[in-house]
Amino acid sequence: MIEYLLIAPILTGILCFFTRSKKEVEAVSLTGSIATLVIGLILVENVYRQGVIISWTNALFADAFSAFIVLIVSIVGFVASVYSIGYMGHEFKHGIMDLKKLKIYYVLFHIFMFTMLLVGVTNNLGLWIAIEMTTLVSALLMILYTKKSSIEAAWKYMIICTVGITFALFGTILTYYAAVKILGETGDALNWTSLIAVAGQFDPTIMKLAFIFILIGYGTKAGLAPMHTWLPDAHSEAPTPVSALLSGVLLNCAMYGIIRFYTIATKSTGVDFTSNLLIIFGLLSLGVAVPFIILQEDYKRMLAYSSVEHMGIIALGIGFGGVFGIFGAILHMFNHAMTKSLMFFGAGNVLLKYETKEISKVSGIVKSMPATGGMLLIGGLAITGSPPFSIFLSEFTILSAGFLQGHIISSVLFLLFMIMIFAGFFNNLVTMTFGTPKPGIMPGEMSRWTLGAMAILVVFVIVLGVYIPPFFYEMIMKVVAVVR
Amino acid sequence: MSEVIFGSKIMQLLIAFILVSTFMILGSTRLYSCVRAFGIQSFLLAFVAGIVAYSTGKYDIYIVALLTLIIKSAVIPYIFIYIIREIKVKREVELYVTISPSIIIGGILVVISYYLIRSISIISELSSLALSASVSLVSIGLFIMISRKKALMQMLGILVMENGLFLGAISLTNGMPLLVELGIFFDVLIGVLIMGILIFRINKTFESIDTDMLKTLIG
Repeated sequence: MIEYLLIAPILTGILCFFTRSKKEVEAVSLTGSIATLVIGLILVENVYRQGVIISWTNALFADAFSAFIVLIVSIVGFVASVYSIGYMGHEFKHGIMDLKKLKIYYVLFHIFMFTMLLVGVTNNLGLWIAIEMTTLVSALLMILYTKKSSIEAAWKYMIICTVGITFALFGTILTYYAAVKILGETGDALNWTSLIAVAGQFDPTIMKLAFIFILIGYGTKAGLAPMHTWLPDAHSEAPTPVSALLSGVLLNCAMYGIIRFYTIATKSTGVDFTSNLLIIFGLLSLGVAVPFIILQEDYKRMLAYSSVEHMGIIALGIGFGGVFGIFGAILHMFNHAMTKSLMFFGAGNVLLKYETKEISKVSGIVKSMPATGGMLLIGGLAITGSPPFSIFLSEFTILSAGFLQGHIISSVLFLLFMIMIFAGFFNNLVTMTFGTPKPGIMPGEMSRWTLGAMAILVVFVIVLGVYIPPFFYEMIMKVVAVVR
Repeated sequence: MSEVIFGSKIMQLLIAFILVSTFMILGSTRLYSCVRAFGIQSFLLAFVAGIVAYSTGKYDIYIVALLTLIIKSAVIPYIFIYIIREIKVKREVELYVTISPSIIIGGILVVISYYLIRSISIISELSSLALSASVSLVSIGLFIMISRKKALMQMLGILVMENGLFLGAISLTNGMPLLVELGIFFDVLIGVLIMGILIFRINKTFESIDTDMLKTLIG
C-alpha cells in the first residue's frame, strides 16, 4: 500500500517528462495527482481501520500521525496541481515559460510530492534524508524563473536549510548513540517502532543535547524564529503553486520531524525540558512575525511571515501539551495547510492580474476579480484567527490549553501577538481588496482552474470552522495518542 | 569496542591529520588548494572508516569507507574543479576575515570543542578525542561559510561540516545503519550537484559568484 503511494508521484513525474505538448503534460500531471490523492486517502482509511501498517521490510510504516501528514500532502498536492494548470498555463501563454520549462516544472512538482510523502512514511529516523531531499527539489523549482531575486532566494534557502539540517543530522546521530546503548548495533535501532518502546531508558543528558540539535535543525526548515530568515525570500520568490506547497505542506513536514523527536526525547528528559524549549521558540516566532506583517510592503512576503507565525503557534500548542494542546496543534497543522494554500493561490491570481507584489500598488480586487477577492477575504479572516473559520477553532483550543496547563504569561503573550497580527494583516488585506482598481486593470477572473482550486480549499476552511466530523475528530485523537 | 580503536596511536594520528587538513583550508588563498585539502581530509576519513571496519569486522563499514573514498575524495573535488574551470572565476578565495585571524579563530574553536566534549561526562574519554575533532570540524566549517565571499567556499564549508558529522557518527557508534549512510551519501552528492547548478546560474545572472551580490531581499 505505502509503496504505491510513493510510486504514483514518481511515475507521474517520469511520464510528464515524455509528453510532447502543454495539453498532454497537464493531463498526465492532473491524472497523476488524482491517483496520488486516491491512494493517499485509501492509505489513510486503512490506517484508521487497522492502526499501524508496516511494509518493505520495516523501512516504510504508517501510523496515525504519518497518515495525517499523508492526508495533508495529498490534498494540498492535488489542489496545487489543479491550480498549476491555470497559473502555469498563464505564464506559458505570456511566454515566461516555454514548453521545456513547463515540463521540467511538472516533473519536479511530482518529485517534490514524492519527497514530502516519503517524510511521512519512513520508519527510520533517517527521515532526515527525506527532508534534505525536499530542500534539494524545491530549490530547483525556485530557479525555474531566471530572475535575480529568485536565484538569490534559492541560494539562501539551499545554504541555510542545508546547514540547519546538518545540525538535525547531529541530533539524529546522538539519538542513535543513545539507542545503541540499549538496543545494540542493529540495523533497526533507528526505527521509530523499536525506538519508542525503549525511549524511556535513554540517557537524559544525551537526549537533551539531541533534542536541542533537532529543534534547531528541523526548526530551521520549519521556519521557527530566529532561524526563519530564508523563509520569506524563498516562499515569495517561488512559483505560486510551489509557494503554497512550501508554506502549507513542507513546513508541516519539518514540524512532523520535530514532533516525532519530541515524543522520543520527552520520554527520557521529562516533559518540562522539551515543552519549555518549544514554547520559547514558538513565542519568538510569533513575536518576530508581528512587525514584519504590520510593516510589510510585499503581499507574498506577508503571507510568508504569517507562516512563521503559524509554525510558532503549532510549536506553542505542542509545548503547552496536554490533550488539548496537542489536539489543537495537530488540527492547526491541517487548518493552516488549507488556509495558507488558499491565500497563496489568491495572491497568485492577484500577481498575474496586477503584475506587482507591492501591497500599495494593488487595490480593488473585489471589483476586478470578485470571486478571487471574496475568497481572499474569507481566507484572510480565517488566517488571522477570526470566528467562525477553521483556524479560530484550533487557535482557541491551543490558547485554552495554555491557560489550562498554567502557562499564563505565555498564553497572554500569545493572545497579544495574535491581536496585533490580526490588525496588521487585515489592514494590508483591506487596502488590497477594496477601493477602485487602477485604470488599465481589466475586470475578469484569471482562469477556472485557479478558482476551482481555491473553491475546494474554501470548503475546508468554512466547514471545519463550524463542524468537525466525528471520523476526523477520532483521527486527530489517534494522532494525539501517538504524540503523547 | 569503538573506544578501543579510537584510543590507538594510528587513529589519534589520523584524527590529528584531519584537523591539520581543515586548517589547510583555512590557511590557503587559492581555490584549488582548498579543494585539494578537502580531498585529503575525505581521504583520511575514508582511512578512519576503513580501520574501524577492519577492527570490528563489519562489512557495511567497508562499503561506507569505499563510498567516502570514491564520492568525497574523488567525485566531489572533481565537481569543484570542473565548476572553477567552467565559470573562469578568479582563482582566489576572497575573504571577509583574513588568513591569520582565521587560523587563530580556528584554533580557538578547536579548544572550545575539546572542552565542550570533555564536559559531557557520559561520553567516554577515548572516543571523546574523535568527537571533539568532529565538533571542531563542524564549527570550523560553519566559520568558513561565513568568512569567505565566494559561493563555492560556502559549499565547501557545508561539506567540511558534513565530514565532521561523519567522523562524529563513526566515533560514537561505528557509523549509522547502512541504509541511512547510503541515504546521506545520496543527499550529499545530489546536493553538491544542485549547488553546482545554482552557482552556474548565479554566475550567469550576476556575472560573479560573490555572495555580496546576494543581499537584495530583506525585510
